[in-house]
Amino acid sequence: MTENEIIRLQGIKKYYDENTHVLENLNLIIKKGTWTSIIGPSGSGKTTLLNIIGCLDSATSGSVIIYGKDITKLTQGELTRFRRENIGLIFQQYHLIPYLTALENVMLAQYYHGVVDEKKSIDVLKRVGMDHRLNHIPAHLSGGEQQRVCIARALINEPTILLADEPTGNLDQKNGEIVLELIKQLQKEGHTIVMVTHNPDVAKLGQRTITVIDGKICADSSCAIEINEKFEGIDEMRYKIDKLTGEVDEEGKDNLFYGEDDLKKRIDEKIKKR
Amino acid sequence: MLFRLLKKSILKRKSRIIIAIISVMIGAAIATALLSISLDVGEKVGLEFRKYGANLMVIPKSDTISVGFPGVDVGSITDQRLINESDLWKIKTISWRNNVKGFTPFLYQVISVDDGITRHDVVLVGTYFNQTIIIQQPYSPQDNPVFITGIQNINSWWTVEGSWISDQNDTTSAMIGKKVAEIFNLSIGDSFNIYYDEYIGDAIDEKNYSLTVVGIIETEGYEDDQIFVNLHVAQTLTSRPEKVHTVQVSALCNACPVEEFATEIEEKIPYVQGKTLRQLAYVEMGVLDKVENMMLLITIIALIASALGVMTTMLTSVIERQKEIGLMKSIGAENRKIITLFYSEAVIIGIVGGVLGYIVGFIISQIIGANSFSTTITPRFEIILVSIVISVGVSLLSSIIPIRRAVKIEPAIVLRGE
Repeated sequence: MTENEIIRLQGIKKYYDENTHVLENLNLIIKKGTWTSIIGPSGSGKTTLLNIIGCLDSATSGSVIIYGKDITKLTQGELTRFRRENIGLIFQQYHLIPYLTALENVMLAQYYHGVVDEKKSIDVLKRVGMDHRLNHIPAHLSGGEQQRVCIARALINEPTILLADEPTGNLDQKNGEIVLELIKQLQKEGHTIVMVTHNPDVAKLGQRTITVIDGKICADSSCAIEINEKFEGIDEMRYKIDKLTGEVDEEGKDNLFYGEDDLKKRIDEKIKKR
Repeated sequence: MLFRLLKKSILKRKSRIIIAIISVMIGAAIATALLSISLDVGEKVGLEFRKYGANLMVIPKSDTISVGFPGVDVGSITDQRLINESDLWKIKTISWRNNVKGFTPFLYQVISVDDGITRHDVVLVGTYFNQTIIIQQPYSPQDNPVFITGIQNINSWWTVEGSWISDQNDTTSAMIGKKVAEIFNLSIGDSFNIYYDEYIGDAIDEKNYSLTVVGIIETEGYEDDQIFVNLHVAQTLTSRPEKVHTVQVSALCNACPVEEFATEIEEKIPYVQGKTLRQLAYVEMGVLDKVENMMLLITIIALIASALGVMTTMLTSVIERQKEIGLMKSIGAENRKIITLFYSEAVIIGIVGGVLGYIVGFIISQIIGANSFSTTITPRFEIILVSIVISVGVSLLSSIIPIRRAVKIEPAIVLRGE
């Protein structure tokens, strides 16, 4: 593990049963202070991937190394403590406790971490621009405001890794921009951001975009080195095919990678057409 | 924070919590009511049994001398000993005095009554009706030195047509048994003559005395054949001033053995002996045991029903709050914090249910007491503690399964959107 590495996934497989393979032999390295966006169609396994990184779910096999510690070897209690100290979670649905105020929702995360410090919670809410809504319950807050409370809750215990699952998925453009600006700011301050999104424009805000399809990383905008060895050498081939099919973007780069089987199928289709 | 979380979580789910509290309250109310009744009415049930007569008989001690005939002793054929009426107050000075519900002396004499054709022998009984006893040396300075007792205290179950003799100085009134009334065709207000032999030295002088019927007694027992008058009337007629044959004592006692009453009375009045009516006591204890077992069974069933009520409510609550629990775990709640939250809720449900159960149970016990035992149940504040302990216990026990389920909820449920 290099100095800059913060998360390393090696040979991650996640099977719910024999027929439900969610993640297939997935390898991924995330560097400290980066913003990595994970995109992919629904059911592709990107949320499961985020759950595994967030110590919320366990892999069927493989190792998840965060800060040099293999979390697959931790007990449930140790995982909870590890998550509490290192990871902040931002949800699409905000998941605030409906009967607690904005302030109490943030303080709850403090309570689970140890000591409750109301002033610190107020400060964090102030930072996300929510100090004027401290005593409002979620039902009396807009979606954008709830998401900001959710971010404040994620930040309260000062984690270094922030995992966001479709943080703007339920927000209008204006509120979405506010939230994304906040996340951008957090990354600048040194937080490592891993964000799942459907929106390629949102994904592009990060330094790196990973595309997950059918439980495999099919494209990585930074490089393909970490992808399984069997994909080596076909990067160039993919580029050629995409050029043929006109799926290369304006800048001549293509973030889409369809997998070996799909590639072969598409080559066959092109040949047939000709 | 736990307090805030609990308060808001309870207020948010008021209806569920109220259902759980009602479940606990019902169990606690039944437990409290039956416990109050079994503690309080234990004595009162004893009192009910006391209605069927005294359970301790005080008779003069007789020194017997064997005359060589099996079963016949000199004492029993020669010694007609009597008890001094002036010693009777001592019965109220034993350590168990507060459990002496009443006592009444008896002086018997066979007399004759004319039915118009022939004379029939009838037993005349002199006794107390509404006698004021002055306790000359009370056991404790706090004791009331005045004690009112009489045959109606001991035999309150007797069916009386007319009235009891109420004046202890009444010398003309009589209460007669139902059969006496039938044989001599007597009704309330009728006067009749009794004939008795008065001994003057060796000479016998037959005298008569007029009595008026104030009450007709029906007991289905030997009392139906007797005539009851004030003790001093019988003492005067039989020339036995200040004497009585026997004293019946009604000992109200659940926990204490009646034998101890007897022993203590024998210590206070050395020339008497106390005979307990053991058979009655055993029957009484047996019935009381059965009643208590039945109450225990009902209580257990009620508590199981409440436990099921609480468990169902808590399970529903856990299912409804799956996401909330998953979220709590995802933001760092360890299992013990989830367990603490749910057990705290259970304790609150138990305490509130226990207090309300005590109040409702007390009301139920009063209703049962009034209807079944014609008495009020004394409030016992120690029962509120018992009620709370039982309720909290039931609430905690019935939360075990729901809490185990809550602990098993995975935090990933939040992100999976299940």
